Amino acid sequence: MSAETIVEQPDISILCPDALLNGYCQDARWGLAVVRATVLEAAHPQIGAALIENSTFVAHPWRRIFNTLLSVQRVLDADPRVRDKEGARLNRMHARIAGVDPKGRPYNAMDPDARAWVVGSLFESTVNLNRMSGVSMSADDMVRLYEEFRAFLVLLEGNADHLPATVEEFWPYFDDVIERGLENTEAMRIILFELFGRMPAPPLLRGHPALWAAGRGMAGPVITEFLKATLPESVRQRAGLADVPGAHTLTRGVYMGTGVAARVLPQSWTRTDTVIGLLDPSLANGGSGPSLLSSLRRQQRRAAALVRLLSPMSGDGASSSASGSAARSAERFFAEVLDQTGDGYVSWPDIAAMAREVASRLDLDADGEERLFDAFAGWWRELASTLDGDGDGRVSRAEYAAAASSAASPALVRVAEVLFEATDADGDQTISAVEHRALFRTAFSRDVETSGQDARYSRSEFVREFLAFMSGRQSSAGYDSLLAQA
Amino acid sequence: MTAPRHVACVMDGNGRWARQRCLPRTAGHRAAEAAVIDVIEAARASGVRWLSLYAFSTENWRRPSDEIDFLMGLIRRTLRKHALSMCARGIRCRFLGVSDPRIPPGLAQDIADLVELTRDNRGMTLTVAFDHGGRRDIVEAARNLIRDGVAADQVTEESFAEHLPHPDTPDVDLVIRTSGEQRISNFMLWQVAYAEWVFPEVLWPDFRAEHFHECLGAYRNRERRFGDVRSPNPMVKGNR
Repeated sequence: MSAETIVEQPDISILCPDALLNGYCQDARWGLAVVRATVLEAAHPQIGAALIENSTFVAHPWRRIFNTLLSVQRVLDADPRVRDKEGARLNRMHARIAGVDPKGRPYNAMDPDARAWVVGSLFESTVNLNRMSGVSMSADDMVRLYEEFRAFLVLLEGNADHLPATVEEFWPYFDDVIERGLENTEAMRIILFELFGRMPAPPLLRGHPALWAAGRGMAGPVITEFLKATLPESVRQRAGLADVPGAHTLTRGVYMGTGVAARVLPQSWTRTDTVIGLLDPSLANGGSGPSLLSSLRRQQRRAAALVRLLSPMSGDGASSSASGSAARSAERFFAEVLDQTGDGYVSWPDIAAMAREVASRLDLDADGEERLFDAFAGWWRELASTLDGDGDGRVSRAEYAAAASSAASPALVRVAEVLFEATDADGDQTISAVEHRALFRTAFSRDVETSGQDARYSRSEFVREFLAFMSGRQSSAGYDSLLAQA
Repeated sequence: MTAPRHVACVMDGNGRWARQRCLPRTAGHRAAEAAVIDVIEAARASGVRWLSLYAFSTENWRRPSDEIDFLMGLIRRTLRKHALSMCARGIRCRFLGVSDPRIPPGLAQDIADLVELTRDNRGMTLTVAFDHGGRRDIVEAARNLIRDGVAADQVTEESFAEHLPHPDTPDVDLVIRTSGEQRISNFMLWQVAYAEWVFPEVLWPDFRAEHFHECLGAYRNRERRFGDVRSPNPMVKGNR
């Protein structure tokens, strides 16, 4: 899609807290639009291949959803430097994602058409969200929102040439891609048929697997039907989705219901960060958030503590994910930490996903990111050379379990040191509480916390804890939230 | 009459109590639970704001593993049994120590939960010294000082104390060590510097509210004599 005539590029300064988009990403319902857009993205052959091969979406769906929202929030930050930095970071992240799909076709996350489709499908899903909830956008708002999405593309690409210049031209483009550009990709099938059936519990419910399983058992099919019903007709046909009677009504019901809820409930309850904060207490922005959120979170933590104390004594193994000193089995460590993409093997995309998550949390610049990826790459080379027995370029669960005892290898120590330097933002050779929170989104662990407000981690302690975690000897709340939890 | 602000109990004599009755040592530990609950209530009722109990020292790990297993289970059951009533009575529970990997994860979780549950309570602060060693706390404070890069000439008693675990804990005013033993046993070494000590003969499982009140009385008498000679306001001492 390229324009023959020179069209005016939108000004990226419209990406600011006043943007229309900001209102949407504050609204928890927008999460539905993000998920729907992800299905449309996944049906794009290039994006679908990239998702399957590189993304942690299948194994860590919550992380991907939270990170998308975080990214949009950064782009809409009042400080243009934050916005530009996030744009550059997204570009660096995408530049690392390229390869060849199972059919032998190359894919590249920097492909301009694919990136235009990501932005376009998110726009369409946002409009769709409004329409289905019974409040159509005004024509002016739609034009404005479209400009903002085009500005987003300018931030990434430097121009918006791969999206049509006006909303009027967008709809034929959208229909055209739907009609001819999309396929029944594996990524889409996974999202539609598997993801909600086996979605891991959000951190809030991690201590209650039975509750989550029951809720998911009921809600999973509903969400899936809901998603399917919102998709354009031709996409549904191509995916071979049957028309379930009442699905359309259900969809409208969900949208309308959430719309009504948004109107009736106090505004702060339906804000995205409130919902996210409830799902994952570690993500709620500490301190700066509304007091309702922090008090809800505190009560929720307290209620969880009370439930645990009043429930029958569990064996010591059962609560190991929450306690500080529990060792994990090599199998569990492999599944929960190393295999980030959830395909049963560890290969470079898994290791890169860890580096990506760290880089995103610490908001690293290009140099810092490069060092981090280098260190992780060195570790991967070492892992591959020592553990990959059959030489297929990836490490299987069995290969890992057979050699899991090899703990503090030089390359892993190097990762720990680079991670320390990256986390130590002010370069004073210690990790302060603020720096700790940036990486782990949690406060210090109990014993460090008790030693005063301005407690710090030294380099040696940091390295020791990282190695203890990485060798699977010890789980830690911080590293669990960074690498293990979805 | 004002009560001492911070009272600490070294709960000694469980083993002897059991031996006198030809029972296994574990029976003594089990009988200690009633004394603990009684003392907590008595302290709260008499206006003590801070109560510390020495439950398990770093040296106690040397005991036979059967006894340790039993103790861990007992502490966990006791903690769970009384968690709600602690919370309901407005008692804030904290733990001092609790860093040994030998502590069973289930117990560690329960401890964390109890601390979380009672975090905002303001009635009385109950500090349970569990896997505690006074010297270790001092070493830990020294480590923290070095980590913070505090210059040598800036290390004072105050700044040092701020680097101890639970730095908001005031100095101990009164230590009660039951069973007539007269030792410190590495207990809150920094905080007991100015404490009055009383050594009632009664063994801990028999220790009850009336014994506690007797100890408070003994403390007041000493304070009064002390005050007659020196200052008109003897209650205010080197609290941080």
